[in-house]
Amino acid sequence: MTNDTSTPAPTPLAGPRASGRKSALRRCLSHPSTIIGGTIVVFFVLVAVFAPLIAPFDPLASNWGNVRQPPSALHWFGTDDLGRDVLSRVIFGARASLAAGIIAVALAIALGVPLGLMAGYFGGLVDMVISRLTDALLAVPFLVLAIALAAFLGPSLQNAMIAIGVAAMPIFIRLTRGQVLSIKNEDYVTAVRGLGVRDRAIIVSHILPNVLAPIVVQGTITMAVAVLAEASLAFLGLGQMPPAPSWGSMLDIARQFLTQAPWMAVWPGVAIIAIVLGFNLLGDGLNDTLTPQQEDG
Amino acid sequence: MTASKLLLISASMLALTMGTASAQTLSIGLQDDPDTLDPARGGTYSGRIVFDALCDKLVDIDANLDIVPQLATEWSWNEDSTELTMSLRDDVVFHDGTPFDAEAVRANIERMQTMEGSSRRSELSPITSVEVVDDHTVTLVLETPFAPLLSVLTDRAGMMVSPTAAEGNEDFGAAPVCSGPYEFAERSARDFIRLEKFDDYWNADEIGYEAVEYQIIPDSTVRLSRIQAGDLDVAERIAPTDLEAIRSDESLQLQTSPGLAVSHLFINVGEEGGILADSPELREAVELAIDRMAINEVAFNGEFTPTNQMIPPSSIFNSSAHPIPERDVAAAQALVEASGVENPTIEITYENSLTDGRVAQILQAMIQEAGFTVSLLPLETSSAIERYLAGNFELYIGNWSGRADPDPTLYTFFGTGGSQNLNGYSSEALDEVLIAARGELDTEARQGLYEDAAEIYLTDRPTIPLYHSTWFYGASADVEGITIYPDGIFRVTGVGPAE
Repeated sequence: MTNDTSTPAPTPLAGPRASGRKSALRRCLSHPSTIIGGTIVVFFVLVAVFAPLIAPFDPLASNWGNVRQPPSALHWFGTDDLGRDVLSRVIFGARASLAAGIIAVALAIALGVPLGLMAGYFGGLVDMVISRLTDALLAVPFLVLAIALAAFLGPSLQNAMIAIGVAAMPIFIRLTRGQVLSIKNEDYVTAVRGLGVRDRAIIVSHILPNVLAPIVVQGTITMAVAVLAEASLAFLGLGQMPPAPSWGSMLDIARQFLTQAPWMAVWPGVAIIAIVLGFNLLGDGLNDTLTPQQEDG
Repeated sequence: MTASKLLLISASMLALTMGTASAQTLSIGLQDDPDTLDPARGGTYSGRIVFDALCDKLVDIDANLDIVPQLATEWSWNEDSTELTMSLRDDVVFHDGTPFDAEAVRANIERMQTMEGSSRRSELSPITSVEVVDDHTVTLVLETPFAPLLSVLTDRAGMMVSPTAAEGNEDFGAAPVCSGPYEFAERSARDFIRLEKFDDYWNADEIGYEAVEYQIIPDSTVRLSRIQAGDLDVAERIAPTDLEAIRSDESLQLQTSPGLAVSHLFINVGEEGGILADSPELREAVELAIDRMAINEVAFNGEFTPTNQMIPPSSIFNSSAHPIPERDVAAAQALVEASGVENPTIEITYENSLTDGRVAQILQAMIQEAGFTVSLLPLETSSAIERYLAGNFELYIGNWSGRADPDPTLYTFFGTGGSQNLNGYSSEALDEVLIAARGELDTEARQGLYEDAAEIYLTDRPTIPLYHSTWFYGASADVEGITIYPDGIFRVTGVGPAE
């Protein structure tokens, strides 16, 4: 993984957020990385949502008499080895990629954040068990773990999402745990504890909101990793099932025809690069705008 | 030192000018790393390519699938076709110096019949005993006539290894000793296998290279680029879509042969089967919905041979009375409607390779036009094979390597209890015909029996054959004398560097 999340983020916010949501949002929106990254991501989200309206052809419709045709006025991106329109397949492929990115990361957060909260807040045996398990998972390279899980679960887009989500989970456990450790002895936490508020309420209402910012940043960056992982799994035949399109499986097929039909590889490749770039820029921008705000506070 | 160096240089230049460039290594790119190099155990196609240079066999095939001499010079059957007497070459020694004789043949056949882990046991099971008539004559005794026997001996079951070296040697495959034109030198797993010329080979004049090195290169695009770059002399299994690159390159040559292999849509007609199992009409509808020519054009650039039979047209046992049926979607739709099945749904299982994946998607699109709903289940190789062997599939894209004789194909797939009969098919009438064909040595009579067999299995449709692949070898134009036969094996005999 690219981000070393074992080190806790800079001094966290003491007490409830100082500056309101509005100013954070304004700062985000004025950061160039966020604007460019966000635009790219929004573009692909719109493409995925409105795929049936935008795509000029049915992405599954084969045309035997029209295989591996170079780009033309009719087929802007050319046709593939079964005579299907590459543009339409790239458009529909955005669905698999974004779904994988969003659902896998949502799963990773849904599993990782509660575990990290528990490990950080309760400490002791709970922390030891969760942290050792996290260490074990982190010892396996992310993609290797995802491939192993996907192969174990069987090839399908749904299983690929689960595999990526589980493989991405340990990073959220560790990040959340580190954040919780650094704030759980802050005065405002001690104060509510002293008032007799129950642990669950403390975690949910007082700790969680104050560890959310780095998780959002990490989530955005992990989204890029997840999209790439879905493409890798599809490339290996462990993701989206044929004939439904996925950028990774399109690349897998295209590599056989690199010399005869390069357009089959170029467009899904460009799409993967663009969306990964988009998520990374967005993550960078959020990191720059959300983290300093806390330092100021 | 300088003087000797000069001498060496002038000597090698002399050698070059004389055209004896035979001090060369022939490098051949293989797609897969062969398994063990013991003919009694070997089970891979790439292994058979290596065996050709390493181990001679009793008999061989020619381009027309006729049986021709190799270690046996001639042979004859007794009157009731239960004894095959073979005369053997008397000028053959194994790589370890052991002479090849009738006793060696007996030792080899008995070894393959009794050795633990032998993969040749069932192929050789018709032989009840091997009698040594004299030093160079041997008789194979059978219980009942078995016409495919000679054909069996053209493959690994007919390969002779040194009995001295094999005796009690558990690890024979790691350093095999045979009597072929090249002897084993070195092997590095998943990397290369190196063989060196055997000086005492009986047919040494026909051997053009000092050594052969088989390099394992799984990706066909990489094999192609290596012969283009000139650091590989020969590459097997060039992808049909890459042929143009070889044809248009003057420094390369393309050698092809129609193959014996068949790819077919195997239909489970047993208990595990779906809606197709109990409905011959729906099976017919599936076949009518398929356009084999289009599959060949789209998936293989039109380079393979579309087929509706298990036996390829290159064999005299292909049934010419049963041409490929034309695609007829309307008739298929009518059959589906007449069947009364609401929304018939079928599932195609296949190994997740790019080739089978493409064929599966084409089949899906075609069969759906007839009113079926077709789902695809691509599985990673080992789980696909596991399901296949367990008969756990509705339809399966099978790829069978084929044999020179029709019996090992037809009996194993359609005979009751055949080793590839995994779809629950059983037909008494077909069993009778296939067993009769086994005992029939007269070619014309045998052709007639296989004509009957085709009529039965093409009507019952336990499978829908799709295409026969073609063997494509790419090679440097500097290699002369390459000929590929329908078994797809690269034969080193007669191959040498161009003058």
